[in-house]
Amino acid sequence: MRIRAAVSAALASAGILLAGWQSGTFVEDTGSAAASTSAGTAGAGSSGSSTAGSAGAGAAAKAGGTYAGSVVKTRFGAVQVQITVKAGSITDVEALQLTDDDRKSIQISNRAAPLLRAEVLAAQSADVQTIGGATVTSDAYLNSLQAAIDAANL
Amino acid sequence: MNTELLPALAASPRAADARGTIKARHRRRLFHADLLVTVAWASVAAAVALWLADGGATGFSTLAGSFTALGIVAGLAGIDLVLLMLLLAARIPLIDQTVGHDRALEFHRKLGKPSLYLLLTHGILIAIGYGMAEGLDPVSEAVSLWVLVPDMWLAYISMALFIAVVVTSLVAVRRRFPYEFWYAVHLLTYAAVATSLPHQFSVGALFAEGTWQRWYWLAVCIATGAALLHYRVLEPVIATFRHQLTVSRVVTVAPGVVSIEMHGLNLNELAGTGGRFFIWRFLARGLWWHPHPFSLSAEPLQFDASGRGLLRITVRNLGRGSAQLAGLKPGTKVALEGPYGIFSTAARSRDKVVMIGAGIGITPLRALLESTPFTPGQATVILRGRSEQELYLGDEILDLARHRGATLFHLTGARSARHADNWLPAHAADAGHRLTDYVPGIADADVYVCGPAAWALNVLMDARAAGVKEDQLHYERFDW
Repeated sequence: MRIRAAVSAALASAGILLAGWQSGTFVEDTGSAAASTSAGTAGAGSSGSSTAGSAGAGAAAKAGGTYAGSVVKTRFGAVQVQITVKAGSITDVEALQLTDDDRKSIQISNRAAPLLRAEVLAAQSADVQTIGGATVTSDAYLNSLQAAIDAANL
Repeated sequence: MNTELLPALAASPRAADARGTIKARHRRRLFHADLLVTVAWASVAAAVALWLADGGATGFSTLAGSFTALGIVAGLAGIDLVLLMLLLAARIPLIDQTVGHDRALEFHRKLGKPSLYLLLTHGILIAIGYGMAEGLDPVSEAVSLWVLVPDMWLAYISMALFIAVVVTSLVAVRRRFPYEFWYAVHLLTYAAVATSLPHQFSVGALFAEGTWQRWYWLAVCIATGAALLHYRVLEPVIATFRHQLTVSRVVTVAPGVVSIEMHGLNLNELAGTGGRFFIWRFLARGLWWHPHPFSLSAEPLQFDASGRGLLRITVRNLGRGSAQLAGLKPGTKVALEGPYGIFSTAARSRDKVVMIGAGIGITPLRALLESTPFTPGQATVILRGRSEQELYLGDEILDLARHRGATLFHLTGARSARHADNWLPAHAADAGHRLTDYVPGIADADVYVCGPAAWALNVLMDARAAGVKEDQLHYERFDW
């Protein structure tokens, strides 16, 4: 009887895992397709960064103020950050928009944003690591940030 | 030694139909046991499948992703085991009637360390995986998760609580503290689970709003909580109000041993529970907070069809609290939880039955002998004590054995000095007697053993040597 339990437990577990894995590969396929298209839009977004940057720039110097970065579009939604500069250093980074297309993206953004902000404030540049599990959001965040830093002439 | 072979009486028709039901019930119980094992394993597989279905396996494309992925799997499996542990301790009738209360708690204990290791692995691997992706060492990553990410500080508290609960339950640690301390720390399990939940749903992207995984996980968590609330809180309260038990008298059976009789209502619902245990709380000053697990020492006695009647337990002054029970006043209200365990007819698998009891462990056998079905000549009762006075309720058992046609042995005398691991009195042990000498057909019988733990283990060993298989051995462990 113990054999019957072991066999049925093994079969049931294997079946459940297989079903999960099968629907997982489906997600993976659609996911990578979306990723390749998003690379294009992300590129287009960052090309627009110069316009946004120049709009906010002008006479801006190292004095201080707030500078908005470009709007970077991703497959999960648009990302835009704003920095606050005082005496030539970044004192705050605020996310004006974050990837928010679906609940899951919001959740990823909520985790990534505070970590990115802390990293940027420490490094005083956009040259920081992306957040694990939030690569798309991180890339967009740092692209927008770079535009804001450019606008501030830091 | 006094040995008396009692004459068999005419077979009662009731016992004859019972033979078919014993076999059928046994098959059903084995089926339920296999089903429970399957569901338990499948639930762990399902927790991992949730993550696979979300495309989790893509994480393995990078090293950092691999750490994170394994960390997530460990967390899912760990919490699933914790939920299984809660269900095993929830006193769910299906589990209790299938494997018994003590076996359920044994599985519960076995899962303790694995679940803690999985949760620790979860925390460590996630810190390494996230840290690698961000160029941070695991410790800095852990700190930044704690400080920066909402709900994560609760997860750290949860981890600390889980460690405390498991460490205080380790046998070596547990022996150093009183039961009440262990119990209080164990209650923190609920806090540990509660503080772990927010980060699962807010930080773990797997259970983000709008995903079916979130609904599954919520359903599993809520069902577990509901089962605990229902079977551990509501059912006992309902049973207490339904049976309205009141102590009617306390009778001294032998020095240090008392029978407590309680009258109450709807006791017909408790018929057939002889041998099973209830958790009693005597609602008197200084006693009400102390739960006492005791078996009925007789089948419920019914006065009329409405279920008014008497319950009886027989108690020896063993530990804290038990001594005070001798002084219980008639009229004291009693709260009860139960019945629990399968030290009862529910565990039967064969037509023959052997009951072996020592000391106060004789009393549940007295109740079992009263109700469990057998044809005359198919049952053997072996009572063990240092003296005749220690064979508690011996007179009642003699009467029952006469009426039902059971063979009865009284084995009295001190233990053998030469055969320390022998359960028999010295004269029998030294003469080389074994269990098969008393019950030649024991290999094809259900064997119920109740008595002090070390003694009972010796009986079980002798029974196994006589060819009794594990599923024929019924031994209720009352130690916590």
